[in-house]
Amino acid sequence: MMDTEEEDFKSRLAPDVTPNRQLPWLTGIELLSDTNQNKHFLPTGLEGIDALLGGGLRQGQVTEIAGPSSSGKTQVCLSSATHVVDRNFGMVLYLDTSNSFSPFRISCFVNQLHPSLPKELKETSLQTIMSNIYCQSVFDIFALLDLLHHVETTLKHTVKLGGSKLCLLIVDSVSSVIAPVIGGKNSQGWCMMASVGVLLKRIAYEHNIAVLVTNHMVGGENGTLKPALGESWKGIPHIRLLLSHGTGNNHGTTTVLKHTLMVSMHLDHHEIWSKWVVFFSVLEHSSVTGRVLYVAGDSFAYRTHASDTN
Amino acid sequence: MEISNLPISPSIRSKLLSKGYTSLSSLSSISPSFLAQELSVKLEEAVEVLRAVSDTTTSKSAHIPNGIIPGAVTAWDMLSEEQMQRHISTGCEDLDAILGGGIHCKEVTEVGGVPGIGKTQLGIQLAVNVQIPVEYGGLGGKAVYIDTEGSFMAERAYQIAEGCIYDILDKFPSNSREFLSCKERLQVNNFLAGIFYFRICSYTEQIAVINYLENFLTEHGDVKLVIIDSVTFHFRQDFDDLAQRTRVLGGLSLRLMKLSKMFNLAVVLLNQVTTKFTDGSFQLTLALGDSWSHSCTNRIILHWNGNERCAYIEKSPSVASASAPYLVTGKGIRGINSNFKRARIM
Repeated sequence: MMDTEEEDFKSRLAPDVTPNRQLPWLTGIELLSDTNQNKHFLPTGLEGIDALLGGGLRQGQVTEIAGPSSSGKTQVCLSSATHVVDRNFGMVLYLDTSNSFSPFRISCFVNQLHPSLPKELKETSLQTIMSNIYCQSVFDIFALLDLLHHVETTLKHTVKLGGSKLCLLIVDSVSSVIAPVIGGKNSQGWCMMASVGVLLKRIAYEHNIAVLVTNHMVGGENGTLKPALGESWKGIPHIRLLLSHGTGNNHGTTTVLKHTLMVSMHLDHHEIWSKWVVFFSVLEHSSVTGRVLYVAGDSFAYRTHASDTN
Repeated sequence: MEISNLPISPSIRSKLLSKGYTSLSSLSSISPSFLAQELSVKLEEAVEVLRAVSDTTTSKSAHIPNGIIPGAVTAWDMLSEEQMQRHISTGCEDLDAILGGGIHCKEVTEVGGVPGIGKTQLGIQLAVNVQIPVEYGGLGGKAVYIDTEGSFMAERAYQIAEGCIYDILDKFPSNSREFLSCKERLQVNNFLAGIFYFRICSYTEQIAVINYLENFLTEHGDVKLVIIDSVTFHFRQDFDDLAQRTRVLGGLSLRLMKLSKMFNLAVVLLNQVTTKFTDGSFQLTLALGDSWSHSCTNRIILHWNGNERCAYIEKSPSVASASAPYLVTGKGIRGINSNFKRARIM
């Protein structure tokens, strides 16, 4: 594939795009190299959860943590905020809907990070880390949408001005502002939920930010619990984890509900694999000699097929 | 910030957009005369447009060093604020200790328990303790008591206030000069006058009171505690549509969160328990279901441990789960060891 051929291909496909607009077409190789170089994993500070996530919170993706009350969702958020700032990935913005952001708890996490440092260095590192975590309270969905729009606008300008850049956006919990508006006779609530979802994903993708949201549980059939916000929300986060606390002890368990790269524990295997099978089988077929145009929403993730053909 | 948000006249805006200037950056390096020629407008109008652009960009860049969005506070500033914050004592020292000093302001705390365990007693105790003057280690604020069941008794509040004043005078020597002036304020009638009482009889009244609270709290800026006893009572029987009940309660809890943050006060919600069938056995859980369980910042469960009353912290973002025993005495809520305290030698 030569560069001139690529340019021809691109120009033939997009004759109507104005010169100022950036062409959105990327080849698979460009996407893969962008993923490997730019989309880092942000640490949550909890090894088990990092392992389940495949390394940590992925930049450019929305991760959801669901769980019943006091299963540790806020603690995962606070721990992620601390570890991400400590490793100098950038700033963290914490949107808090239940006044659960605890600066005291963050200072406990910071003190656990480097226990062997002398006291003065610990003080300065505490101040540096905590000055890079911003917290804002949100109490209804309109304020949330407003804030997210503002964040998006500011990010477009910050890129040119430099300085410490936002790398992790936490919304704890997104379900408590969305749940009061969905359901009922009219569908405006569902539209607003979809707007929030699209906005979060766009902020994540365009500015290379990891987004972490928490969700609570509601009763399903047979008395079991299921994550709130219903079926329509399920498609919005890229990765969904379910926390549950162990009875009687402090140990909890985490389950992967949905992951773009891993097989989930609960979904039917056929459902996930069928998408990949169709895609790769077109590439492998010897009589197909053209290119494949994959129009992805946002869940296009990189996974090399097990049996590579040449 | 796009061209569409600039404060310029609509005709010039449409001309800009039709010529392809869609973002502020495209206008950043253009001279006024060139712009006037492009848009076929007068030179003064082009100057106005460019001035509006530069105003917007400079105000934006002035905001950015302060934070990614206006109103966001760094965790470091919040930490110093939090360390100066006083907490509301519950009367029981063990319980205060596991709570990290007492009930926190700016947070919503839910207290649940079986009938007869002492929830209303704890509510009245908190309404009295919030009024302890600052010189004696309290907040010196007033309380709002929203009663849904009718369990608030003024005589009991009188008793508890008397017990509280007695203990304060016992703890602090009364002949010290700086305490003489505030000692006059330690009258039981003052304490009772500092509790604003609302009696509500239906869920619509409850929703109305919570909506009205914002105005009330703006007028009475010294209120530091809002107690709702009990928040679930009217929502358990009359609601046919459970989904609507969940939505209404979700909206209520968000409003209470906002009030506690805005007015820097503590909100305490008292809740009843119900039985739930899980894992093959009946267990006691708080009423209103799983969807309500995330609507508070902290949760304390009061339960019987043999013959003893115990308080267990079930949910908190800043303190670990722990349990502490307490007593309900004639003077109010007290700890186990307070009976054995020696009288101070005057």
